[in-house]
Amino acid sequence: MMFGWTGNLLRVNLTDGTIKKEALCPKDAEMYLGARGLATKIMMDEVDPKVDPLSEENKLIFMTGPLTGTFASSGGRYEVVAKAPLTGTIGASNSGGHFGPELKYAGYDGIIFEGRAEKPVYLWIEDDNVELRDALHLWGKNVFETTDTVLAETAEDARVACIGPGGEKMVLFAGVLNDRNRAAGRSGLGAVMGSKNLKAVAVKGSKSIKVADPEGFMEACTDARTKLKEHPVTGGGLPTYGTQILINILNQSGALPTRNWRDGGIFEEAEGISGETLAEKYLVRNKGCFGCNIGCGRITRIPEGKFKSFGEGPEYEAGWALGACCGVGDLEAVSKANFICNELGIDPITTGATIACAMEMYEKGILTEEEVGRAIPFGDAEALVELTRMIGLREGFGDVLAEGSYRMASKYGCPELSMSVKKQEMPAYDARGVQGMGLEYATSNRGGCHVRGYLTSPEILGIPEKLDPLVTEGKAGWLKIFQDLTAVVDSAGICLFTTFAIGLPEISSMLRTATGINATDEEILKAGERIWNLERMFNIKAGFTAADDTLPPRLLKEPLQSGPAKGKVVDLEKMLPEYYEVRGWGADGVPTAEKLQDLSIG
Amino acid sequence: MSKILMISPEKCIGCRTCELVCSFTKINAFNPKNSRVSVFTYDEAAVSVPMMCMQCEDPSCMRVCPTDAITKTADGLVAIDERKCIGCKMCVSACPLGNITFNTYEGKVVKCNLCEGDPKCAQYCPSGAIEYREAAPGTMGRKKVIAEKFSELFGEVNE
Amino acid sequence: MKVKFFATIREHTGSREIDVAEQGCGSVGGLLQHLCSLYGRELCSLLLEDGKLGSKIIVLVNGRNVVHLQGMDTPLEKDDEVSIFPVVAGG
Repeated sequence: MMFGWTGNLLRVNLTDGTIKKEALCPKDAEMYLGARGLATKIMMDEVDPKVDPLSEENKLIFMTGPLTGTFASSGGRYEVVAKAPLTGTIGASNSGGHFGPELKYAGYDGIIFEGRAEKPVYLWIEDDNVELRDALHLWGKNVFETTDTVLAETAEDARVACIGPGGEKMVLFAGVLNDRNRAAGRSGLGAVMGSKNLKAVAVKGSKSIKVADPEGFMEACTDARTKLKEHPVTGGGLPTYGTQILINILNQSGALPTRNWRDGGIFEEAEGISGETLAEKYLVRNKGCFGCNIGCGRITRIPEGKFKSFGEGPEYEAGWALGACCGVGDLEAVSKANFICNELGIDPITTGATIACAMEMYEKGILTEEEVGRAIPFGDAEALVELTRMIGLREGFGDVLAEGSYRMASKYGCPELSMSVKKQEMPAYDARGVQGMGLEYATSNRGGCHVRGYLTSPEILGIPEKLDPLVTEGKAGWLKIFQDLTAVVDSAGICLFTTFAIGLPEISSMLRTATGINATDEEILKAGERIWNLERMFNIKAGFTAADDTLPPRLLKEPLQSGPAKGKVVDLEKMLPEYYEVRGWGADGVPTAEKLQDLSIG
Repeated sequence: MSKILMISPEKCIGCRTCELVCSFTKINAFNPKNSRVSVFTYDEAAVSVPMMCMQCEDPSCMRVCPTDAITKTADGLVAIDERKCIGCKMCVSACPLGNITFNTYEGKVVKCNLCEGDPKCAQYCPSGAIEYREAAPGTMGRKKVIAEKFSELFGEVNE
Repeated sequence: MKVKFFATIREHTGSREIDVAEQGCGSVGGLLQHLCSLYGRELCSLLLEDGKLGSKIIVLVNGRNVVHLQGMDTPLEKDDEVSIFPVVAGG
């Protein structure tokens, strides 16, 4: 009997339709915790890192953590893991909502999908009854239609994760959407799902999750919940304004990348797309994921006009990508584009950043009106909304955009205009003004990404300490700790946002009392380091080298022209060798044999 | 005057923390299906409503109980005496709100018992959607208050 | 000098932005005192804690957090732009 974990995995072979229940290896669980860590361990054991991500040799794993579905605040998360089609790295993307907990109530820690179904199918799990069902009638339906239809066919109180047309058409940055509006959005894991002809997973569970030390666990959770409630960010800023509140502070700090990062870090129309404007004009209600006492979700409505719509978000990264990055200051258009991303099941960050790249190519005359089908200057709100739709459906020029900015720009001979790392678009922090984020982007195991070691928190927001964003000293050491702790948080099954208010002691305490593992805080952080190094090894075996730990030339060679970081580029040359050293890796960026042995990898 | 659980759907963020803590209080494990409170979310209307036993003034469950296992206590609780309950489930059928159920896991009829005066759902609700406080004065019943809140909420979204 | 307010700070000031003559508040500390006199105790308790820079706010001068400049002693001049935020996060 396991505590925290259910101890069971489902293995679904889509090629021959077999479904097996397997026991979770307790040693793997202890070493890799769950969700992101455990799924990566399975990928490493079972999949050749060199496979084509969209081939049937790739596997797709849905995995929860030991705290998922428990009283741990924000314990509503699960991770989708596969080799990622956008980057070719290990892909791991997590999501909240209610799907992950329901999977555990059905009695499973995770599902491993193998092979490829001949025809579209969906998986229906009701406790011990698990079946693959025909999904031909769902193919082509958007995320909301799919969710509604599957619920009608299974149970109204089931939970659904699915892909939209974006995933079906293998848009390289299609996501997996659950509970309608929550997304495992990045790196194209929805395209992997589409390549397997798997349209949806529906689950309903009636079993209980038991913890090792119920009294101790409730005490640890209550302590964490109290700290979250009392912290000005998790108990104040996030519930009041949602994540979009960051627009103004990044803009005032001169680090809000504007017009494909070409025009520096100050967007003159930032106020129009800010969290303040969202709250004032369009907010219907706040929404929380399962078991969350932060509640940063926003239900929004554009009441009238050509962008009339209703949905969730936009969140900060999406709001930036579809807004400032495209030079669009109209929040109604940005919201509409964001809703379309959810409907069609594509990542709004890469969508916005790819459109921004195309806009710059258009303004440079590399793309023409004939080629695209319309004029696409920066700031064109209608073009933004229309291109978003075309990407999700791979319609017209959308077919080119659906490959992401790096492949698109390379096709036209200008890869330097793609603001991506390892072919994944960077999010909303101009690293010339937030140096640590530059190192974070360059070393993230899934390419351009902000949620692998969010140094924006100490550098801009002053949490947990105030680090000067323009300084490089010490950032490597900070980044290592942030990356390792984030791996713990993701693998435990709780939300990264909890770390604004709580840290390793609180998280370790919840993990110990939930699972009964006898590990010190340091050993738990070391599990995070182990996960980080395992991901790195996957990427190295996939063919990545230190040469890939870099940034677009714009960040390394074009100094910012205004704002507090005027004259700055990212000093990656200085930070990267220091980072490798702090990590215990060779100068070639490869974990040394001693390091791997120390972490018991191999 | 006794305290009651007041529900404010307009504050509910749909996180189901109440279901989690309720199930833990009752069965020492996490399982929303064993919770005495359930949150119903209506996506189209952007509203979530926590529902639990309203401790009715004139409880139908009490009236149909053949063994007098259900009583209304002085402090307002509709209580089930497990020793008297024979598990006939008449009360389950009788409750107009569906807030009393037969739980197969526990093998008994279950409903909210206000955690013996300290309801955990209210204690942990992050947004104040469930509160345990003195009943508001006036003649309007709680159910009517909730019904009106419903119509306001639906009205707001459906215009 | 331009002073901009964001998020919950606006609830106290009722405005997004004001112009402040630099006389009398040649430093961040002086400016915060000045804002206290303009907007009253509630905002003041956020801006200043025991006369020190409040722990629940972020003050930028020309985009730089004053804690990385000279804190309360950071000098202010006519063309400077000051932004005041509550501590926020997201991402």
